[in-house]
Amino acid sequence: MKKLYVVIVAVLAHLMFISSVSAQPTNSNQLSDPRVRQALCMAIDMETIGETLFEGQIIPADSLLPNGPLKAPNLPDYSYNPEKARQLLAEANWDADRELDMVFYYGDQLTADLMAAVQAYFADVGVKMTYRLLQGDVGAQLNSVPADGVNGPAAVDYDLGYGARAAMVMQEYYNTFKTGLNPQTPGDPKMDAMIEKINSSADPEVLKPYFFEIQQYQMDQVNICPLYYQKLFIYESNKVDRNGGAYGNAQYNYNWDITNWNVSGGTMQTNTGPVEFFEQPWYNLGLWIHNKVVFDRLLVADGAMQPIGTSMAESFDLASDGMTLTFKLKEGLTFHDGEAVTVEDVAFSIRSAMKAPQMHALIGNTVGSIKGADAFKDGSTNDVAGIKYNIADRVITLELSKIDPNILTTFTQFAILPEHLLGDTDPLKWQQSDFWQKPVGSGAFHITEVKMNDYAKFEPFDNYHGGAAGFDIIAYPSYDGDGNLIKNAAAGKMDYGFTKNVADVAALDAMDNMMTKAVDIPYTRMMWIMQYPKP
Amino acid sequence: MLLVISFLVYLGLELAPGDAVSHMISPELASTITEEQLNAMREAYGLNQSFLTRYWLWLTSMVQGDMGYSMAGGVAISEIMAKTIPATLELSIVALIFSTIIGCSLGVISALKRGSGTDNSLTVAGMAGVSIPEFFFGLVAILLFAIELRWLPVGGRLLPHYENVWDRIPNIVLPSMVLALMMTAGAMRYARSSMLDVLSREFITTARSKGMPEWRINILHGFRVALTPVVVLIGFRLPLLIGGSTIIEQVYQWPGIGSMFIRSVRASDYPLVMTISLMYVFVVLTASLVIDILTALIDPRVRLGKE
Repeated sequence: MKKLYVVIVAVLAHLMFISSVSAQPTNSNQLSDPRVRQALCMAIDMETIGETLFEGQIIPADSLLPNGPLKAPNLPDYSYNPEKARQLLAEANWDADRELDMVFYYGDQLTADLMAAVQAYFADVGVKMTYRLLQGDVGAQLNSVPADGVNGPAAVDYDLGYGARAAMVMQEYYNTFKTGLNPQTPGDPKMDAMIEKINSSADPEVLKPYFFEIQQYQMDQVNICPLYYQKLFIYESNKVDRNGGAYGNAQYNYNWDITNWNVSGGTMQTNTGPVEFFEQPWYNLGLWIHNKVVFDRLLVADGAMQPIGTSMAESFDLASDGMTLTFKLKEGLTFHDGEAVTVEDVAFSIRSAMKAPQMHALIGNTVGSIKGADAFKDGSTNDVAGIKYNIADRVITLELSKIDPNILTTFTQFAILPEHLLGDTDPLKWQQSDFWQKPVGSGAFHITEVKMNDYAKFEPFDNYHGGAAGFDIIAYPSYDGDGNLIKNAAAGKMDYGFTKNVADVAALDAMDNMMTKAVDIPYTRMMWIMQYPKP
Repeated sequence: MLLVISFLVYLGLELAPGDAVSHMISPELASTITEEQLNAMREAYGLNQSFLTRYWLWLTSMVQGDMGYSMAGGVAISEIMAKTIPATLELSIVALIFSTIIGCSLGVISALKRGSGTDNSLTVAGMAGVSIPEFFFGLVAILLFAIELRWLPVGGRLLPHYENVWDRIPNIVLPSMVLALMMTAGAMRYARSSMLDVLSREFITTARSKGMPEWRINILHGFRVALTPVVVLIGFRLPLLIGGSTIIEQVYQWPGIGSMFIRSVRASDYPLVMTISLMYVFVVLTASLVIDILTALIDPRVRLGKE
């Protein structure tokens, strides 16, 4: 009875809230009217699109956050309902002559087909829409924020945008909605306060209700229209046996136990080899094969990016207030060139990451949270007050100036680089160092041969603390989406990789020598809705 | 000429949307990079300077023999060129040699058997060869020889176990033959027309009236003269040695200058784009000179300094 009462109160409160936010537009742009935004979401039949265009390989989305423990209950239902969409548009006095301008940045045919489908669905409810592919400085065209982060006008010229958010940690979905950071959604003190809350603790249980709250609030406001959750597909040839090793979010680094894999023939062929240089590992954290196998991290995550143990660290300790993190390195760690890995290398890597510009947000947030980071970054100090270490004891302590809820996850991804080889490099030109022609790490494989734009060969590192693998890796310079995957796989030249392209998955599944494994990842495709007045 | 073209190419890059830094940031991560970070990168790469300043700096260093560094990875452009040009030349020279020999031979046969079934078949094949896009031939060849029959590799140029040039032959067969096929058709059509023209000349009739053997008339008198326009055609194809295999390089994952050029344009890596563009222009100008010299050597009528 009590449960029923709670549900009824929740539903009533929810309906009252909807009506309160759906009153009218907040500025001259009709898209600032929540009723219009609701209508646009309800006009698109993602179930049908998923079954047809995407061959059943996607999950229609009901909020930014993927399904899982943090998914809020009782989210508003914006599933396909053209009648309701027409009704909401009529209530909002939608200008039927207005033609919405939708932008996107994926150049594949599937996206073009999706745009055509959305256009048709919108036309069905009386909304005109054209679409165009952004080219050139896509970041600036998409993400420039207004000078006035509350009243606008918009700094970009589109009405709707189709894109994605690939998040490692759930805060990434919402942090960019902070006042002054979002190109489409005007700043909102309530939202700002909720963002503060979801970043206030490192304890997932503490954060859970805050995520429910912000999720509910955002979907009531409908300041984005979530479309679908994208899966990732790992493909392997019949030469590869993981020996029980886990499958996970292959875009990042996780405990896949590669040293225990069996590869018949002794060589595993893959893609993402270097064309001109090896990309530094702090930006696209696990995209390239060398990120995964050449470098090592202090901690290790599971396939869902939850920290589950140590890798280079012998032990670690996060203070109960979350403001101090201490690592002790394993004994006897060496880089591939034989030099010892010390806590000085850890400190050097963190200091360099504070200044290097091309950085994943997760790492940027963590290193920026360390005490003294700002002063070090702007050059007023030569050292970072919050980094203390003792080489002989193999211990390094990080003191934070503000809490970072994802600091442990960061150290499952943050590659430790050798100071003796990179110490003279200007962090602003980090990627331009010769080091990246044949980088040296401390991971399970070392690079033995590089023919840029032809192949790179990786061999097992005998001194790896997790044991030596029993096979070599050859990486060719081909990438997801470059058209070579299918022909290479068909010709037996591809043993491992991952893709998000459902057309490739269908082709790979049709091959006798290949298998694909779908992995749910936090990757949400959405439609951005411009709520600022037009520039 | 080089100066004007270099300025136009630089201007084209300037007018294209985005710059090298914006191409380094993936759209999905772009919202997580701050304006300050982007400005710092632009400053580090010298992109915050004016267009004319940047052009002048590039030009002066180029004149001093310094091609500069790739913006994406900081690799010396001379090093990139040294790695990619041999790959492209290797592919193109093989294709040019095969296409010239086969094309000229078939063209001469076609002309000598004018109106026959052989002539008609070769004409149709030639038309097909010049009409069908090379990427189509490339994909069909991969499907047939690499995937179905597994006789040849699907693409790439080198593998770790390759020790000498002979090991690499299987890799070059498909791309070079597909490239040669396209070039053969043109050479054959050109050789046929030229040979037919020569065979109707008076000196051929005169030779026949002197009782010379037919093979001698055709080869020594006819083919030698017919070769002049064919040599011009081949001369005009010399720039293709560098720039003509771009599509085939893409299809066959061949690490040549063509695929590097495409990548550098996409990445707005202007020092690399500029150097490759200028090299193309230089090769075209050089080829024109070579054609003039070769034509004079083959055909005494066009020798310089003679009435």
